[in-house]
This record gives sequence, C-alpha cells and structure tokens, in this order.
Amino acid sequence: MSSRRSRSRQSVSTRITDEQINELISKLHAVLPEARGGDNDRVSAAKVLQETCSHIRRLHREVDDLSERLSELLDSADLNSAQAAFIRSLLM
Amino acid sequence: MAISDAEGESPAAAKEVGGERKRKRLAERSLLAKWKTEGERKSYSSKLIEALRVVRRSSCPAPRAVRVAADRALAVTARGRSRWSRAILSRRTLKLRSRARVARLKPPAAAAGPRAAERRKPPALEQKARVLGRLVPGCRKLPLATLLEEATDYIAALEMQVRAMSAVAEILSAAAGGGRSSSVAAEPM
Repeated sequence: MSSRRSRSRQSVSTRITDEQINELISKLHAVLPEARGGDNDRVSAAKVLQETCSHIRRLHREVDDLSERLSELLDSADLNSAQAAFIRSLLM
Repeated sequence: MAISDAEGESPAAAKEVGGERKRKRLAERSLLAKWKTEGERKSYSSKLIEALRVVRRSSCPAPRAVRVAADRALAVTARGRSRWSRAILSRRTLKLRSRARVARLKPPAAAAGPRAAERRKPPALEQKARVLGRLVPGCRKLPLATLLEEATDYIAALEMQVRAMSAVAEILSAAAGGGRSSSVAAEPM
C-alpha cells in the first residue's frame, strides 16, 4: 500500500514501470464497451485513452440528459409517492 | 455495458500464486465490482432522491442543479476512496467556467529526468492523457498511472449513476402518471 502512495511523489525507488502502466491500461480497456474478442493483449495505449475519453464524454452526456428529464419530472411529480415506490421496490 | 467479472477470477487461485500484486489487483477488481452491486445502486438512489428533494425546494430546479446533486451523491457513495470523488465534494457550488484556459505547453523533452516511464511516452499519448485528466474531476496534474486508476473507477461509477438515475426517472414518471398509490412500506412479506 505504501508503494502506491509514494508513486505520486516520484521517489526513485518506486518508479512507475511500463508494465504497471500496461496493466492499468488493460484494466481500463476491460471496462470499455468496445468489442472484445479476446484481443486484450493487442491494445494500444493511445486507442484505449481515446476510447476512454469518448466513453466518459458519452456517459456525461447521458447523465446530463437524465438530469434534464429528472428536472422536468421533479416539477410535476410527487416525491413522496416516488419514495414510496422506491421503498416498495427495495422490499420486493 | 461493460462486463468485468471480478467474480470470475477465483480468489483461491490468486492466493495460491501469492504475490502482493495479485492480491492488490484482486482488491482493485472488487472495488470496481462494488459499483455494479445492487446495494451500491440502491444506496446511491436513496441519496439521489433525498438530494432531489432539496433541489425541488430551491427556487429554480434547473437541470444543472440536478446534475450537481447527482454528482455529489455519487461522490458521497464513493466514500472518499478516490480522488475524483473528493474533488467533486470540494467543488464550490458555482463552478465558474471563466477560469482562464492557459495553454500549458510543457514539451515532454523538458521533463526528462527521474520519470523513466514518462520519458518514453510519445507526445500523442501525452496529449490524450491530458484530455482524459480534464474529463475526470480533480485529475488534471496526475501521473499517468494514478490517472488510469481514477479513470477506471470513475467510469464504473458513472455507469452506475446512469443506471440509478434512469431507474429513478422511471419511478418518478410512473408515479406522476399513475397518481398516488396507496399503502407503502409496511407490506407484509
């Protein structure tokens, strides 16, 4: 655990290796919604970063759209019955 | 949706091989899997609904306010374990975009020194990493490894946020359409 902390301080003894970076890149690649046909070893870092950026932007846009929808619904809906429905869904 | 099955890797096998790295990797995978559990989604949903109450009472329930409330609820659900969540929580309410965007052109050649990994990075990668750092809250000046970790967690959290907000929107629109349904929580099983 201490090595992860001191990484940000760039100490000489815990230099970030290429291998660690590649590991993180493939982990990131695993959560991206690209087509994965077992080609996990042939990902390029640049492509993964690119995909990550567009994926995050896409998710942000979805959240913004949902915020729009929720703000419209908030004006009309009754939160008490919504919470009731929510609690009911918890119990089911 | 992305399917990273942390449950697929048997923890027994990891322990047999030993090595701290494997165990750490497993811990990180389970951290990501946390965002996929029903428990987390429901915990986030209830925080979200509470936050939405507050938004609704405010004078102008703008979508922006909803977004801010949703993000803060998400950051709280993260329990401060990640940089992006701490950054969201320490955001001032009015995030003014008038911050002067100074084009910081730091040539990678000038950074040659103790950073062995960064020296070998082509400038295209640098550029993309910088863009990514701007997208993830609180991650502008991080080294690449930390940035990648934060981005991975952030994406998992965002996906949960989308799922939860959709569910809440469904509940709200159903409640608005169907009117008030009667008895509530005390339903005997």
